[in-house]
Amino acid sequence: MDLLQLSRWQFALTVMFHMTFPAITVGLSVLLSFLYGMHWKTGNPVYLQMFRFWRRIFAVGFAIGVVAGIVITFQMGLNWGVYAAKTGPIIGPIIAMEVVTAFFVEAGFIGILIYGENRVSQRTMFAATVMVAIGTILSTTWILMANSWMQTPQGFANRHGRFEPTSWMHVIFNPSFMWRAPHMLVAVLISAGLFITGIGAYYLVKGRARLFAKSTVSIGLGVVAVLIPLQLFLGDSVAGAVLPRQPGKAGAMEGNWDTPNTGYVIFAIPDMSGQRDTVKISIPCLGSYISKDLSCDTGIPGLSQLVPNKNDQPNMTPVFWGFRAMWYASMVMFGIAFYATILRFRRKLWTARRFHRFLRWMVPLGILAILGGWVAAETGRQPFVVYGHLRTSAAVSHLASGQVLFSVIGFITLYAVMLGLYIAYIVHAVRAGPERDDPDWVAPDPALDVRPPRPEPAPVPSAVPVMRGGR
Amino acid sequence: MAGIWFGVLVFALLMYVVLDGYDLGIGIASMFERDKASRDKMLEQVAQAWDGNESWLVLAALVLWAGYPTAFGAILPHAYLAVILMLFALGVRGVSVELASQTHDRALFEWTFGIGSLVAALAQGALLSSLASRVTLVDNAFSGSAFGAFGWFTFLVCALLVALYLSYGYAYMKWKSTGELRTRVARRGEITTAVTAMLAVAFFLALDNTDAPLNLDSAGRTVAFVVLLAAAGTGIAVAMWSLRPASTNDGRSFVGLAIATVAIAVAIVVGRYPTIVPGVPSVEDALSPDTTMWFLFVGIGINLPLIVFYTWFGHHAFRDKAYGTGARLPRSGR
Ligand code: HDD
Ligand code: HEM
Ligand code: HEM
Repeated sequence: MDLLQLSRWQFALTVMFHMTFPAITVGLSVLLSFLYGMHWKTGNPVYLQMFRFWRRIFAVGFAIGVVAGIVITFQMGLNWGVYAAKTGPIIGPIIAMEVVTAFFVEAGFIGILIYGENRVSQRTMFAATVMVAIGTILSTTWILMANSWMQTPQGFANRHGRFEPTSWMHVIFNPSFMWRAPHMLVAVLISAGLFITGIGAYYLVKGRARLFAKSTVSIGLGVVAVLIPLQLFLGDSVAGAVLPRQPGKAGAMEGNWDTPNTGYVIFAIPDMSGQRDTVKISIPCLGSYISKDLSCDTGIPGLSQLVPNKNDQPNMTPVFWGFRAMWYASMVMFGIAFYATILRFRRKLWTARRFHRFLRWMVPLGILAILGGWVAAETGRQPFVVYGHLRTSAAVSHLASGQVLFSVIGFITLYAVMLGLYIAYIVHAVRAGPERDDPDWVAPDPALDVRPPRPEPAPVPSAVPVMRGGR
Repeated sequence: MAGIWFGVLVFALLMYVVLDGYDLGIGIASMFERDKASRDKMLEQVAQAWDGNESWLVLAALVLWAGYPTAFGAILPHAYLAVILMLFALGVRGVSVELASQTHDRALFEWTFGIGSLVAALAQGALLSSLASRVTLVDNAFSGSAFGAFGWFTFLVCALLVALYLSYGYAYMKWKSTGELRTRVARRGEITTAVTAMLAVAFFLALDNTDAPLNLDSAGRTVAFVVLLAAAGTGIAVAMWSLRPASTNDGRSFVGLAIATVAIAVAIVVGRYPTIVPGVPSVEDALSPDTTMWFLFVGIGINLPLIVFYTWFGHHAFRDKAYGTGARLPRSGR
């Protein structure tokens, strides 16, 4: 692999690793402030129990998200030095705003959120949870602004060999930002909703902590049911804002090459050099219906018609499959929300055992959709890093490949270990269960009854194995 | 404008060195602490604050990137290996401290936390030292070799930074602890502070033999430089004096160290301005266009007091010596 390929892999792996964590923590931070607020207002212990349980899952995910985020910031200069020098006057201030309005807010209050219970007043606790949630939402907004400018750049002039802003209004309110930011925000809320639903369903199946489990699943499914229809609309609007401006991405997402396509390709193995699909399965007319034409006449041109020059085409495989991952996941989510709503109206939601068992598998679905969406958006922008203006191959730092190979291997190892630890940690925390977080919980052995003043597991009587990751 | 923005950069960097300095220092020191309960107390101090402290590093990076994009795009590749090592180490220690305070099985994570802190400090030393070796630029983009940035000077700066961070760590722990632990960290802090002072002198003597010698030709610069060095000396003296176990002014040693650090950093800037890093365009030439700078001054300017407030608030909420040291809050089950 050459320098460019290595640098791209390193960056792609880092952002995807990072993204895995915000996909859960943004939604959880909103959930935590809701739960603490409800506990404060109603005094109902189940809210405190839920707050403590989810805080435990949140804390470690947040920490990994932070360290991976720091890595991205530096990688923009390390591996994409030319990109950094050229886009600095535009991307730099936007991410700098993210640092001062979001990261510091999160970081300043996270200590209180995690360690503050019983040490600061309830009001301060609540304020801290709200501040952290605001921080994560602002963070999402700013970073989407930066990335959207790279997708649909405007409001700049090419001077002194770099992008110099001429109108911040145009830079900030670029055509895709207005749709991509809400699409992303709703995406992370949905994925957190599915995440908690899956874990809540696990307790329903096990018959443990009924009240906790029911409340969790209610909240999770409620969020998904309300947001998924909105997301389908937002996704459609994102497509409308981005795809006309990036024909290569549009063609690659369709999975079609040299004829206008009225069908919808559900499976394809693209062959870039042959400019054709090795295998292709398509549902007739569905594509035309999606373009809001029921007569089956509206066809979308293929990739080699839209972008005849091979050097200007993105690689179809990741764009197509990234988009399909998101799309299929949305359909599953929609199905879940729909079925759950029917069950609820028939008052069968809490007895539908098979549905509960199925829901357990939904824990990672939102994360999958989010990663798929990003892969489609970013690889579809190729071969440009700033669409239409700066090629990725011209943006890379002139490093020795050996150096980058060393760091790629290091990062892969580090991420694999961290991901493994996090999964082991969640599995352990879920097995140990929310019972110990119940404020009224009494340990069978009074000697062991130390109420957790911090989210530190009091020993659970059932001899739950302590975490053993990383050995 | 270039000068003011450079001031913001130096401010963010110094905030980082002082704040993460103490938590990296505590991390390194925790490896030499045999008593389990004391180690727990040290870890708690870091667990509450590392995220906020490291945000200053991210801010410094962004201040550099937004204000001096060419410099950002050149310096990072120049110091590639050091920065990568720092990122690995910061990652390992951040996750370790969080897992150590959230799980039962602490031994492994305590160990990786200590090692991670040490490697991070060493890597930062290497990064800092690389700023004194010439950056090779072609067409405003880096084009040098992998190891060109490192040499004998690297070892000196690494040692200096580790000693300085340890001093911060010990001074901070003395401030936040009581009893035997307080006496112990105070003693060790005195030693590391003395070592830091000696290494700092060696650093200034050695700087002339690097690609970045100080320029003290004008009388104004010389006077400013001497005054700043005197201030640094005073800071060290204050720190040494109040680090004595007998001294009750526990916060003052930390402040003394901070004064010394600021004075040394400003002294270097005085001696180098406006071309700080050899080979990289000067502070004036590398500056972003006016449209960018105005955006930054307004946006960052409004927020800077706020983030100083958050930093203060985060520390203030746990100001009590008893808080975070576990004195009131028995740790369970172990
Ligand atoms: C969904 C929104 C989202 C997206 C697309 C990104 N991030 Fe992120 N980031 C967050 C949402 C987030 C967050 C929710 O605010 C985090 C994640 C988990 C966390 O701990 O805070 C965070 C943390 C975080 C941190 C550490 C903050 C601290 O010190 O407290 C940095 C430096 C970055 N991110 C940088 C980036 C960069 C350079 C990105 C561009 C690829 C990026 N993030 C994409
Ligand atoms: C966290 C969400 C993000 C994810 C999951 C993501 C994903 C990706 C992926 C998979 C690539 C590789 C494309 C390829 O190599 O073909 C890429 C490239 C890139 N992305 Fe993103 N991206 C995210 C956010 C951003 C943001 C917010 C920015 C900038 C502000 C950004 C800047 C870049 C740059 C500079 C590249 C070019 C380097 C390359 O081609 O690998 N990304 N991203
Ligand atoms: C069928 C419904 C959906 C449609 C039509 C849709 C459409 C799109 C399109 C066209 C993009 C590419 C934007 C670009 O290139 O910049 C995109 C990106 C993305 N989608 Fe979706 N989406 C849908 C549902 C979802 C769902 C359910 C999720 C997650 C829960 C999701 C998460 C994302 C993410 C994270 C991105 C990348 C960020 C971005 O580019 O804005 N999408 N979506």
